[in-house]
Amino acid sequence: MDHSSPFEDQLASLLPRLRRFAHALSRDAADADDLTQATVERALRSRAQWEPGTKLDSWCYRIMRNLWIDTARAQSRKSAREAPEEEGLSVGEDPRPGIEAAVDLQRVMAAMSQLPDEQREVVALILVEGFGYREVSEMLGLPIGTVSSRLVRGRTALLAMVGEQ
Amino acid sequence: MNEDEKFFAWLDGELDPAAAAEMEAKVAADPALTRLAEQHRSLGAQLKGAFDPIVEAPVPEQLRTAVRPPAQVIDLVAARRVRSMPALAQWAAMAATLAVGVFVGTQVPRGGTAPVQVQGGKLYAAAALDQALDTELASTPTGDVRIGITYRDSAGEICRTFVAPAGSGVACNARGRWQMKGLFAAPEGQGGDYRMAAGMDPNLAALVDSTIAGEPLDATAEKAARDKGWR
Repeated sequence: MDHSSPFEDQLASLLPRLRRFAHALSRDAADADDLTQATVERALRSRAQWEPGTKLDSWCYRIMRNLWIDTARAQSRKSAREAPEEEGLSVGEDPRPGIEAAVDLQRVMAAMSQLPDEQREVVALILVEGFGYREVSEMLGLPIGTVSSRLVRGRTALLAMVGEQ
Repeated sequence: MNEDEKFFAWLDGELDPAAAAEMEAKVAADPALTRLAEQHRSLGAQLKGAFDPIVEAPVPEQLRTAVRPPAQVIDLVAARRVRSMPALAQWAAMAATLAVGVFVGTQVPRGGTAPVQVQGGKLYAAAALDQALDTELASTPTGDVRIGITYRDSAGEICRTFVAPAGSGVACNARGRWQMKGLFAAPEGQGGDYRMAAGMDPNLAALVDSTIAGEPLDATAEKAARDKGWR
């Protein structure tokens, strides 16, 4: 029952990278997979808007980023209604540096989640996903100087939180 | 670009060769900048090291399924949009977009009636599908339409799932008429041998799960519900 098309094949091969970006944007792994799923569904529904020949990955990353902004807004409204709860982040206090990847990820995600959204997405796209400044500025619809200055502020704040080890 | 930004652009390989050489010399001559460059390279490596295992990890089943949905979900809203067309064009459009056209002709060779009809913005079962929903029991299939489960939804209406050659769906009895709540086209290649298909379409199953109140009716309750006109 193979009824897949090249579009679906390409989308499937992007899943691991999209999940990684989702983890960088979200605050936990469950949110990240929900975001990835929503992105896939949106991409499939909007496939007619994708121009073949252009990069599917940039297109999907942009969808994910926009969906995430929508949910992040809804969530911040929600958490503003509920009493804000201190998450007890122990960034920089982990007594066991360099242990399993899962712990590393948690620690880095915690630090990332402290960044303002607009810095976090730029840090994730450039330092984690490996896109160039120009590509990110096109993806986000921002001047390249804005991308560059957000990146400086984001990575400087991250360094202060994570420390250098 | 200020000097900070230029420093990081150099670190990220974004400067043109001349500017990069200039920045490189500047960093080399300044121990504080050299140290900052090391710290940020290390930060970058930590970020990559934390997130890269996700790329290596197996993709959850749920996501892989999301990319290749087993059936095309039929958009009832889109179906409603065509209701102002003349009946024939309407069905032709629906048959084309909804891939349930196989119902026509095979089920109703002479009547020319579609298995679904749109009225007042709602989609109702018609013809052979309507008849099967009205009369057939899960245990005694007769025609090409087979009844799956019968249950009450949260609004108290009786709902029945069905499988037909072109797809499956669920309809609920609203004041004596079977209103379609979901229609799912069969995956390509499975249209003809739907009896072999394992289990219920996952989209249909999800729809049932989200609307069912309590357990499905058993065979006795199903028959009793039919005898009372599905109320």
